Amino acid sequence: MCHVSVGHVARALEESGIPTVTVMVKAFEHRAREMTLPRTVIVRHPMGRPLGAAFDRVRQSEVVLASFQLIETASESGTIVELPHTYRPNPSLP
Amino acid sequence: MDNSERDESFEAFRKSFSYGDRNDLNFKFFKGLSDDDAASFLQTMLDQLGDAFDTGDVQPLIEAAIQAQVAGYTPGPDAPPPTFAYDHGPFTPARIPVADARVGLLATSGHFVAGDDPEPFGETAMTQAEAIERIGEFISESPVLSEIPSTTPTSELRVRHGGYDIRSAEMDPNVTFPIDRLREAHDDGRVGSLPDTFFSFPGATSQGRLRKVLPGWVARAHEESIDVMLLVPV
Repeated sequence: MCHVSVGHVARALEESGIPTVTVMVKAFEHRAREMTLPRTVIVRHPMGRPLGAAFDRVRQSEVVLASFQLIETASESGTIVELPHTYRPNPSLP
Repeated sequence: MDNSERDESFEAFRKSFSYGDRNDLNFKFFKGLSDDDAASFLQTMLDQLGDAFDTGDVQPLIEAAIQAQVAGYTPGPDAPPPTFAYDHGPFTPARIPVADARVGLLATSGHFVAGDDPEPFGETAMTQAEAIERIGEFISESPVLSEIPSTTPTSELRVRHGGYDIRSAEMDPNVTFPIDRLREAHDDGRVGSLPDTFFSFPGATSQGRLRKVLPGWVARAHEESIDVMLLVPV
């Protein structure tokens, strides 16, 4: 349901002139395709952890920066890129 | 429960993980698996757990769970058509590099600032367990957008969402609401500026009611002079 909600938010923002990029876990990639989201970064992470594991600052930053890159490179709606990383639980939980 | 009082089918067992008496938001996808696929998944998990007894390596368990989530949610060839499908999507090209842009954040993570609880359905201090119990009301009611100052310390963030396992987001909000990562990107010069306000709401909501409030949300984004919006569903 969250992914459908974001699909509608993305459409409304794009129609108003604000470009969007969505970070989505692989399990919901079909939503990005069904709703023709403008730009989607797919991550092979578990549900509820789209940016990466808790305190995995490196992975979280990689996902954010990949999203920025897609903002600048996508030329049409429905652009999807999948990051190659596998999920890793952070070994250094505080 | 006394086994003599319970004659449970495997199908009922599967479905109990999705808001049933074994509710587990990490594994509610069991409901969408076939009996054979669910049995195969459990067998795989137990086999790999046996390996982990010796190796200590839980990565294969995690990978199997992620693959099962993908299988559980991806529609099969006989699935009914989705309720919300669009052949074409609106598209606004980026006008300036992100390094010069004001980058906003809107997540369906259910975060809010301590002391600014959106109080769903007028309920003060709703717990996560109550949000799970009332998921049916959430998906039929209007969403409430929480405004989160972009300078908010993560220690001041709270999260509640009846649709996903929030344990990770409680430990580190950045897993669903990457506020620190955006601040770092700004500090590093990868982002031009940040708006005063980021946004979050529980994305399990009525789509019809969401679309009615969206014009106001879009107006808020423009008031914040946002050039690019990062969206994070959970």
